[in-house]
Amino acid sequence: MPALTKNAAPGPITLVATGCGTAIACVCALGLGEIERRLGGLWSVLAVLGAALLCAALARALARLTTVVPSGAGLMAFLSRGLGRRWGLLLMLPYVALVIALVAVEARIVGAVSARLLSVPPALGAVAFLVWTWAVARSGVRFSLRAQAVATAVLVIGFVLLAIAGVIGAAGRPDFFAHLLPPRPSALALLGGIGQALFLFMGFELVTNQVELVRAPGVIGSALSRSVQLLTVFYAVVALGFSTIAHAPQAGLAADGDWLTPQLGLGAAAVSPLAAAAIGILCIVASFTSFNGALLTLSRLVYALASQGLLPRRLARMDSKRMVPPDALAALLAASLALTFLLSSRALINAVLAGSAAAAGLVWAAAVAVRERPPFVEPGRPRRHLVAALALSSLFVVFGAGALVEGFTSPAPPVLAEVTHAH
Amino acid sequence: MNVDVQDRLGAALACFLKAYEARPELVAEQRGWSPIIALAASDAQARVVVSLDDGRIARVAAAGGPPTLEITGGLDTLCDVLTLRRDPNEPYLFGELVVVGAEADFVRLDYIASRLCPR
Repeated sequence: MPALTKNAAPGPITLVATGCGTAIACVCALGLGEIERRLGGLWSVLAVLGAALLCAALARALARLTTVVPSGAGLMAFLSRGLGRRWGLLLMLPYVALVIALVAVEARIVGAVSARLLSVPPALGAVAFLVWTWAVARSGVRFSLRAQAVATAVLVIGFVLLAIAGVIGAAGRPDFFAHLLPPRPSALALLGGIGQALFLFMGFELVTNQVELVRAPGVIGSALSRSVQLLTVFYAVVALGFSTIAHAPQAGLAADGDWLTPQLGLGAAAVSPLAAAAIGILCIVASFTSFNGALLTLSRLVYALASQGLLPRRLARMDSKRMVPPDALAALLAASLALTFLLSSRALINAVLAGSAAAAGLVWAAAVAVRERPPFVEPGRPRRHLVAALALSSLFVVFGAGALVEGFTSPAPPVLAEVTHAH
Repeated sequence: MNVDVQDRLGAALACFLKAYEARPELVAEQRGWSPIIALAASDAQARVVVSLDDGRIARVAAAGGPPTLEITGGLDTLCDVLTLRRDPNEPYLFGELVVVGAEADFVRLDYIASRLCPR
């Protein structure tokens, strides 16, 4: 009899890797590339650190929410318990809708990477990626947390090494320090940059969903904090690496100006076809594990909403052998495919990134505020915590709005290739 | 343990199990599934444990070994779900029903409850 024991539960390292793995996807390289273009060098690192501070405080709040309501439904359960079902749903729906849009952006990136590596049309690569991942999910296959942790570790180590190599390679150039510390951006641009950096952390909070397996909410709290720390170091190093792309004269990125895949212009990937292929394959693996998890999780949500009549009842059908909802999965595939073709311009994709940062900021603001409300608040908790939580919530909303303003109103800066030419 | 609430939970579980056994095709679909499922009220001293063997009900008790799946919720919520007045998805999604165990086991139990629950 497979009784649930401590041994069956994922360990702390696996949980941290899970938190990082759900946050890191190829679309994050695109987001980081956009921050780099708007801020540059150490200012991009500052934006990452600003977002990280907010997320570290959020991690503490989420730890408390998980302790009181250790539910696999995560944010939806927390917000519904703290604010009521209607508000919980209203806050979560934009977040969920934007996750589907992000899947479409991810598919476009995979299409661009496969076009670069295999010389196939980008649309074909994107569609093949979506359909194949859907087919795997439809068959009921779910990758173990350990397998996802290994994929995340390889991806993180690979990118960090490439970024460090890129920085070391660029250090001898005369304009290195000028690129490392470009002119100070405007306060609004910095605010928008921190808002955009929130997007990079989006998904780390989903480690709360693992509480059903772990049994000990304290372990989840620790994993949340450590995920934020690891993500901060990772994004800061990669941001520094990206600041060197702009002035690498032989960068592959400079040759074709493919702004969708800035990671292929990093360090050795820019000059070595083998390194580019390795990083390309890593990207596709990361996209695959992210989309597989997103599909299965979102299909359960669609199934649950449909079973309550909030979506067409037909979507609430369950395959009794594979234990997956086939119609919900098919609907998600259709939505992802449609969005992959609809999100065809840089402006639209930037709007999705900005909207995702704003939606995450809003949901996280609500989570921080809910922590100070019943049933989550401890009896007799000093009022200063409520004031601090409201201030933190306001910051999430302000930075999220900043990302929206920056994403929608600022003219798109030149792609990295154009920066190279300018220099 | 409060006998009234324990009896209430036990009666609700009996209702669920009766409906399950009345659907032989549903029982047959669960062949190979042998979990120990504990249901505990979060607002009352009530807990029941049901063991399945190859999809068939093997044992019902107030206590048992370490469960494969532990489900906690308010007594009213648990009773509503067990008496098929509520789909379990709804209280789960909104944080009123908390589950500890493998997702695959919960998805299967949810499927059974959804099949039994009239829509």
